Amino acid sequence: MGFPGKMKWTPGPAWPVAMRYGLAVVSVAAALGLSLAFVHFHLPQPFGTFALSAVALTFWYAGTAPGILAAVLSSAVRDYFFEPEINTESRLLFDLVFLVFALLMTRVTRERNKLELRVAERTAELTQSNESLKREIAKHNQIEAELRLSEAYLAEAQRLSHTGSWAWSPLSGDIRYWSEECYRVQGFDPKGGQPRFEEFFQRVHPDDQPRVAEVIERAVREKEDFEFDYRIIHPGGEMRDARSVGHPILSPTGDLVEYVGTIIDVTDRRQAEKERERLREAQADLAHVSRMTTMGELTASLAHEVNQPITAAVNGASTCVRWLTREVPDLGEAREAALGVIRNAKRAADIINRIRSISKKGESKRQLADVNVLIGEMIALLRNEANRYSISIQVNLDANLPKVMADSVQVQQVIMNLMMNSFDSMKDIDRPRELAIRSRPADDQYLMISVTDSGVGLPSEQANQIFDAFFTTKSHGLGMGLRISRSIVESHGGRLWAANNAPHGASFSFTLPIPAEAPE
Amino acid sequence: MSCSKENKLVAIVDDDDSVRGTLHELLRSAGFPSRAFESAEKFLESGHLQETGCLITDIRMPGMSGLELQARLNAERCRIPTIFITAHGDEQMRFQALRAGAVEFLPKPFDDEVLIESVRAALER
Repeated sequence: MGFPGKMKWTPGPAWPVAMRYGLAVVSVAAALGLSLAFVHFHLPQPFGTFALSAVALTFWYAGTAPGILAAVLSSAVRDYFFEPEINTESRLLFDLVFLVFALLMTRVTRERNKLELRVAERTAELTQSNESLKREIAKHNQIEAELRLSEAYLAEAQRLSHTGSWAWSPLSGDIRYWSEECYRVQGFDPKGGQPRFEEFFQRVHPDDQPRVAEVIERAVREKEDFEFDYRIIHPGGEMRDARSVGHPILSPTGDLVEYVGTIIDVTDRRQAEKERERLREAQADLAHVSRMTTMGELTASLAHEVNQPITAAVNGASTCVRWLTREVPDLGEAREAALGVIRNAKRAADIINRIRSISKKGESKRQLADVNVLIGEMIALLRNEANRYSISIQVNLDANLPKVMADSVQVQQVIMNLMMNSFDSMKDIDRPRELAIRSRPADDQYLMISVTDSGVGLPSEQANQIFDAFFTTKSHGLGMGLRISRSIVESHGGRLWAANNAPHGASFSFTLPIPAEAPE
Repeated sequence: MSCSKENKLVAIVDDDDSVRGTLHELLRSAGFPSRAFESAEKFLESGHLQETGCLITDIRMPGMSGLELQARLNAERCRIPTIFITAHGDEQMRFQALRAGAVEFLPKPFDDEVLIESVRAALER
């Protein structure tokens, strides 16, 4: 902060030169006038006294030079008016007295000037420091206001995030800082003042106390960060989940000064996580039930599907035995027949595995999946059901379809639901029953799978309800298929929708996101 | 459509490739000449009806079913002794088939001896 330069001080009164010298002349003239009046009234002649007064007055108010002028003038006036004939010795003595008086007055005036200068300097200094003090105060007030505002924001943020902050000295055991939110999280009354560490520790669930103590002790010993989860028991008995994090503050010499850290109330977050987990489980259960229901509808077809390769295998085995038990066994033919048995038995096993994989209940597993393969497997599984109702299936799959991150069982469940719905919509129609299934990239980000049929189409006035739970136009089924299909597709980041076709039938399509860097 | 019983060809109608193929091989190992068709329509159009002395057919197939095929042949006075093979046949279906003149009604998978005997019996009619 810059002080203004010291004020310039000119010694002597700040009068114009004419006035200063004028004072000399006027004061001596006044002394002369008064003295002449005294003489006129036959009083003792007092010019010496009056002249000294005039000289002193001039020195004091007009400065040194006019003062000297007054002294010289006084001497001249006295010589001329009052004692023109006095001898030289007494005139010299008189002048000497005036000279000494003048010198003394010069000194007095100089001292006076010095004193005034000093007073003025001190006054200026005081004024300056007063002003800078005022500025300091204003600045301080502004900083304080800002600080209060930022503290209010911080307190609000702590309240919103259920995060309190604290400082604690492990050496003295004192809690040095304890934010408002800390009181709330730990269930202390702010009126009761900052709690002691022991009081904090008493609020920790007894089962958690040994672990918490151990974590803190080890961190203090090693001068390291600590972090622990614990339960808080409030005075009312309410239990909260919390997490505390601490960071050591070390002196320049490496000694532990204190810990600063936070306490976060994670109860709500934990609760929300548990709810989400339960919801996920419920959804998985429901999807499984729905899958099993659909599979139940397929029992006849699936039994037939498995029976075919078994029949073929039995035929092959019979053929093999016949070639071997002829009068002249034909080993070549028998071998061919036996190979057929193996082939067909494997085919039966494959079908059973496919049924098992779609029926199994398990964790949702996302991995890179080829949608075309998933569609192919579903067609194999449902081909017989389609045959049963004389439904022809057209397949149009894009050979260069990128893979997607997906739960194969769930995506197959969607495909199965859409195909089964299409089958149902065509069971009672007389025109050709045609189902077309198609895969292709919708754009750079999504690929699209669509199932189109020539069935009865969507119920026009209920088109929006088909995705609702328990909505069904069928005499069988839970009415969960499309609802679950939509939630599966949406959980994969895609969309599922339906539309009617001209002149008849319906189209169900869904998208799945292509991973940002689609691996080959 | 003319239809005689001079020839001893066995016709197989089944939409499942492997069942059809293995059945053909089984009959070959037993010494019966046979021809296999993937649908009733294909068989009717084949022009082999005159030579056919025995028909082995699946019941449930896309398009014309085995029972419909039998009815069609009956309607055209072309009674080919027919053996039905099916994965899901019930009693009612069995009764219907036998009443329409079926030689045998076999659930899949079937015993080869029973089938061969039925074929032989059909051809000897």
